Amino acid sequence: MITKRTLARNAKKVATLTLSIAAVAGLAACSSGGASAASTAAAGAPVWAMVTDQAGLGDKGFNDLAKAGIDDSVTKLGGTEQILQSTDQSQYVTNLQQAVTGGATVTTGVGFLLTDAMVQIAQANPNAKFTLIDSIAADSAGNPVPNVASITFKEQEASFLAGIVAGLTTKTNNIGFVGGIEIPSVDRFYSGFAAGIQEVNPSAKVTAAYVGDFADSAKAKELATGFYDQGADIVMDVAGAAGLGTFDAAKSLGANHWVVSTDTCKESLAPDNFLTSAVKDVQGSVLNENTAAANGTFKGGSTVLGLADNGVGLCQDNISTIPSSIMTKVTAATAAIKAGTLVPPATPDELKTFKPGTL
Amino acid sequence: MDILTISLVISAIHLGVPIILPMLGGLVSERSGVMNIGLEGMMLGGALAAVAVTFITGNPWLGLLGAIVSGLLSGLILAILTVTLRGNQVVASTAINLIGAGITAALVPIIWGVDGTSPSVPKIPSMTIPGLSDLPVVGPLFSSLTAMDYGTFVLAIVVWWVLFRTDAGLRIRAVGESAESADAAGIAVVRTRFIAVMTSGAFAALGGAYLSIVTLDVFQASMTQGRGYLALAALVFGKWRVWPALAACIVFGLADAFALRSQIVGIGIPHELLLALPYVLALVALATFVGRTSAPAGVGKPFVRA
Repeated sequence: MITKRTLARNAKKVATLTLSIAAVAGLAACSSGGASAASTAAAGAPVWAMVTDQAGLGDKGFNDLAKAGIDDSVTKLGGTEQILQSTDQSQYVTNLQQAVTGGATVTTGVGFLLTDAMVQIAQANPNAKFTLIDSIAADSAGNPVPNVASITFKEQEASFLAGIVAGLTTKTNNIGFVGGIEIPSVDRFYSGFAAGIQEVNPSAKVTAAYVGDFADSAKAKELATGFYDQGADIVMDVAGAAGLGTFDAAKSLGANHWVVSTDTCKESLAPDNFLTSAVKDVQGSVLNENTAAANGTFKGGSTVLGLADNGVGLCQDNISTIPSSIMTKVTAATAAIKAGTLVPPATPDELKTFKPGTL
Repeated sequence: MDILTISLVISAIHLGVPIILPMLGGLVSERSGVMNIGLEGMMLGGALAAVAVTFITGNPWLGLLGAIVSGLLSGLILAILTVTLRGNQVVASTAINLIGAGITAALVPIIWGVDGTSPSVPKIPSMTIPGLSDLPVVGPLFSSLTAMDYGTFVLAIVVWWVLFRTDAGLRIRAVGESAESADAAGIAVVRTRFIAVMTSGAFAALGGAYLSIVTLDVFQASMTQGRGYLALAALVFGKWRVWPALAACIVFGLADAFALRSQIVGIGIPHELLLALPYVLALVALATFVGRTSAPAGVGKPFVRA
């Protein structure tokens, strides 16, 4: 027998559930649609879409750079933008598919961590166009996926220059490296950096340590603090959004605790501790691919950008504060790398066989 | 260049405190019979509130107060959903997690006009304790901790004392074991659970604030990185008792600190294995020491007067 009371109770249950579901749905809307919704764009106007990796916007790194490239695309090519933020790895596939379904002209996926999701979605939507930053989209046979423009950078070349600056700046001959996860682009940063240090200061020691992700700033801070405790005076940060922790550690310890950063300049995070940064032109490459799509010249395949293509380099914001004795070496190395007479190692294995002393 | 130094202990405390605070919150809530897996979302709310209030007032202590208010609010929402409306506790607290992650990330660009990461704000300074900080070996410990670190351990004692040594604690535990019997004995079940769940929110929020204005000086979207869930795991290992659960949190902190520090010293173990250490420890503990878990009997059961 259904009494009035059980009815009332059931009604309340239903109300709670509905409330919870509504809350969850509302959240889904704001997490994935932290976007300027683009599905309403007029037919024909381009939609420049982008999917972040787990670090999301505000990483002061490649996600923010790619976003700047998307902003440039809207300014120069017209149309609208759609930014889908991922907070964990399970969202890559759905976010990429959502971008395609939303009518994206080109969908830019930012980061090595999106590789598998990108291959899957690109193969499922052969008529859609994609740009993949920091990784190469290849099918199971190893052939490039035809509708994905894969952009990778020779991080080791910029990192080599940063290594020269660090190697000639260190007083303790003890240098730390805080990476996120040991993925190929992080390895390229590390190998180039260590080789650059060896080139100018063979007695300096570089030690690498990893946070385990690209988002946990508290752990990155503990690592950086640990390096400074053990006598390091320079720490290189390649930990994405977690890199904030490295800067915080240096800032708390004060002057003569240097940070070498990556992707962007980041001087504003700790002006007294910022030494230099190995930057890469993610912004320009995103705009390039989008421009190609707008002109009908977009083609898939792999592009590798280095110093010679102006795809990577040292941060220019504080370049004037670097002593000229160091800059002489940097200039010489830049010329040698562009000429191909000096090839910085791209993997830890190549680093082992790297012979310093060509400068 | 030794791994077993006082800085390892300091590092373990820094990594342990943001697990201990939400663990204490979970303990209070679950002892009153309301399962709270929403700690993670409550932490994020606290982390953001702390930075936002500090940003406006310039005073991190007021920021802490802001975190407490945000925690009480998120606790209030959970209490209304689960105690008043008698909704499913797992569903309701999962909703808190999702709302917490979504709203905080969405508020950053609304408040500061930038995505993902807030500008930096003043942080809670570390205290140097005169005398103790000059001691050999352990000296650095007394110059690198903040009032929040000491406060966390004091709070653990307070939680234990209130729950197990006072009438109020007895009432909370009675409600958590059998709400019907407690009700028959004249205890206000609804009011007790409201207080417990709101306290739980405040503790979790303090844990989030620790990350945002003690460890760092900014809010970053999803900066808690699963610490709310780790706190729940510690709670289960500790069988819903204060000291064993606190020990579990410290072991997690120590394992994390060891995994990070040992890479710097270079002890020759692959870092992938080292970084898995806290989780391996958790599995081992669960499989060997814990045995049958003993949750409060009333957890998960909504109370309705027959």
